[in-house]
Amino acid sequence: MRNIIVCVKVVPKAENVIFDPATKRLDRSKAENQINDADKTAIEIALRLREKNGGKVILLSMGPPLFENYLKLGVAMGADDAILLSDRNFGGADTYPTALVLSTAITKIGDYDLILAGEESSDAALGQLPGQIAEFLDIPQVLFASSVKFEGGKLRVRRRIKGGHETVETSGPVMVSVEMGAVQPRFPNFEKMKWAVSGFHLKIWNSTELNLREEVTGLKGSLTLVKGLIEITPSKRKRVFIDGNVEEKSSRLAELLKERSLE
Amino acid sequence: MIKKELWVVVERDGSEIEDVSLEILGKSAVIAKSSGYSVTGIVLGTPEDGVVRDVIRYGADRVILLKHERLNQYSNDLYVKVLYDLISSELPAALLVGATYYGRDLAGRLAARLRTGLTANAINIKMDEKGLLVFGVPAYGGKIMAEIVCETARPQMSTVRPGTFSKVFDQGKKGKIVEVVPEISKVQDRVKVIDRKINKSKDLTKSEKTIVGGNGVGGDFSLVWKLAELTHSDVGVTRPLADKGIVPRELQVGTTGYSLKSKVALILGVSGSEHFTSGIRDCGTVISVDIDKGSEIFNHSDYCVVGDASEIIPAVIKKLEGKI
Ligand SMILES: Cc1cc2nc3c(=O)[nH]c(=O)nc-3n(C[C@H](O)[C@H](O)[C@H](O)COP(=O)(O)OP(=O)(O)OC[C@H]3O[C@@H](n4cnc5c(N)ncnc54)[C@H](O)[C@@H]3O)c2cc1C
Ligand SMILES: Cc1cc2nc3c(=O)[nH]c(=O)nc-3n(C[C@H](O)[C@H](O)[C@H](O)COP(=O)(O)OP(=O)(O)OC[C@H]3O[C@@H](n4cnc5c(N)ncnc54)[C@H](O)[C@@H]3O)c2cc1C
Repeated sequence: MRNIIVCVKVVPKAENVIFDPATKRLDRSKAENQINDADKTAIEIALRLREKNGGKVILLSMGPPLFENYLKLGVAMGADDAILLSDRNFGGADTYPTALVLSTAITKIGDYDLILAGEESSDAALGQLPGQIAEFLDIPQVLFASSVKFEGGKLRVRRRIKGGHETVETSGPVMVSVEMGAVQPRFPNFEKMKWAVSGFHLKIWNSTELNLREEVTGLKGSLTLVKGLIEITPSKRKRVFIDGNVEEKSSRLAELLKERSLE
Repeated sequence: MIKKELWVVVERDGSEIEDVSLEILGKSAVIAKSSGYSVTGIVLGTPEDGVVRDVIRYGADRVILLKHERLNQYSNDLYVKVLYDLISSELPAALLVGATYYGRDLAGRLAARLRTGLTANAINIKMDEKGLLVFGVPAYGGKIMAEIVCETARPQMSTVRPGTFSKVFDQGKKGKIVEVVPEISKVQDRVKVIDRKINKSKDLTKSEKTIVGGNGVGGDFSLVWKLAELTHSDVGVTRPLADKGIVPRELQVGTTGYSLKSKVALILGVSGSEHFTSGIRDCGTVISVDIDKGSEIFNHSDYCVVGDASEIIPAVIKKLEGKI
């Protein structure tokens, strides 16, 4: 197989993101970051494909320098290479310029059979970027996949559809987004981690290297705008604790269930 | 000139229209009424007449039928092509699509080709005083709703979360029907479907009574099914159980699953992660069982039982069997 390029996003853990109702801003400073879960799944799928069919697994991410260490974790999982697309102009991007920057980099890397991404990120959870990247590259797309196989030069992908799944086939370069949890991602390897940190050279490309004008990237190249944030408060619940031993608790539960079903 | 039209892509399976498409038509009709806009439903393929009529009865002032045999089944390559051609010549102000698997597959690519802004999984849509659509989309596991606008590019595009808006039916409503035969003889479908498997599982968004099992239920899920049978409830699960394949993904509750609107929900062995609790926010009464007194799920419950599910479930079953 030729190159497998995996799009990777680093996201804050949702539970650590704090909303300040006064400023209507998110405080992500205390949030622990991680590789987006579905993207980890994508890395694992890429590594398994390489083990069977050869080729190189290249991780690609657009983001600030702090993403570097997370990409190195991906290298320690077994990826052959990792490239960070980082430039002050790239900041504040919605999915349109993000797809533009990523697809430009993918074209620069070249020689690929497969682009993998996560089904969606855990922060904004749009799930629309993979289709947009595919459009810019003019390659077919298969989204929400749970298995990817390479057989006789063709890709056979199982994807989720309403109420079930489909098996589809494509040939040539294709974009596939994968479901979180489709396979269990391996842990970073300790020896490889040491190399990733000290020996490995992570490439960083900026707008000059990608030959992208300032107006088409980042905030300036964006077509949507986040106008405001509203905290969704959970509906107020009674929180009545039912006491007693197992016997008493289950009696009360059975009663509750029966009362409610008669409503 | 951009037209004051709200367009809705109607998704259907044969003659059955997806609920989410009807819900978006209903919501669009409400927005259109107060703003001087009109609603257009886009139907693809060669459906029975009843489909087009229903699109009007559920809110469209006009239907554009993109009539071609090859469009009866969803295909990314074909749908993006015909919708792009139509939209770039007609220039509607907005295009809304159901956030189904096919709808989301379509929307990203179409938005990129149209060079317009897109937002996903809207749970709120309103029009501001300048006539701009404001889409409310959940982020960070449903803890925050971001308000997104697309100021200059057109159409303003969004996918819409199923089960969010109400359908509006008007038996006597009249509307215009325009047939367009798209030119797609040269367009290839690069993704070939070789097999399709559908499990006919329950549509959880319509469930009146639901029992949700989580990791804490342990290995034996058959007791949950049994309890559901006894109480005439439907069964839902948390993501880890759907990931493990214990039940189909269609039964998953939460941000990446379905939102419940049940009158009563019994939650068993669930820790109460935000990704999950956003899916039970609209339930009537929530009753939870968890072994851990400090479980976050209790903050989202009306009745809380601290206990071992593997003891409580069989005991409740016994009680119900004894008395029913
Ligand atoms: C609260 C909030 C709301 C937002 N709303 C919108 C909106 O409505 N419309 C809009 O266009 N933008 C929006 N954005 C901006 C958007 O989140 C960013 O453009 C982001 O880079 C891509 O969105 P996503 O992560 O949701 O993409 P998704 O489509 O969910 O991502 C899918 C996959 O694409 C890959 N991927 C995503 N980002 C990167 C990256 N930077 N580098 C490499 N691979 C990547 C990953 O494999 C990921 O799993 C919003 C941002 C926030 C914080
Ligand atoms: C992007 C993203 C999207 C996600 N989408 C979803 C989604 O749509 N839906 C969803 O559910 N999750 C989703 N998740 C996962 C979510 O964050 C949680 O990991 C998940 O909901 C936890 O499932 P759980 O509560 O069943 O398991 P756990 O977190 O393992 O909790 C098990 C609970 O059972 C209790 N327990 C243990 N033993 C017993 C016993 N014997 N009797 C009674 N109680 C017991 C424990 O005290 C605990 O509270 C998503 C995560 C991400 C990152």
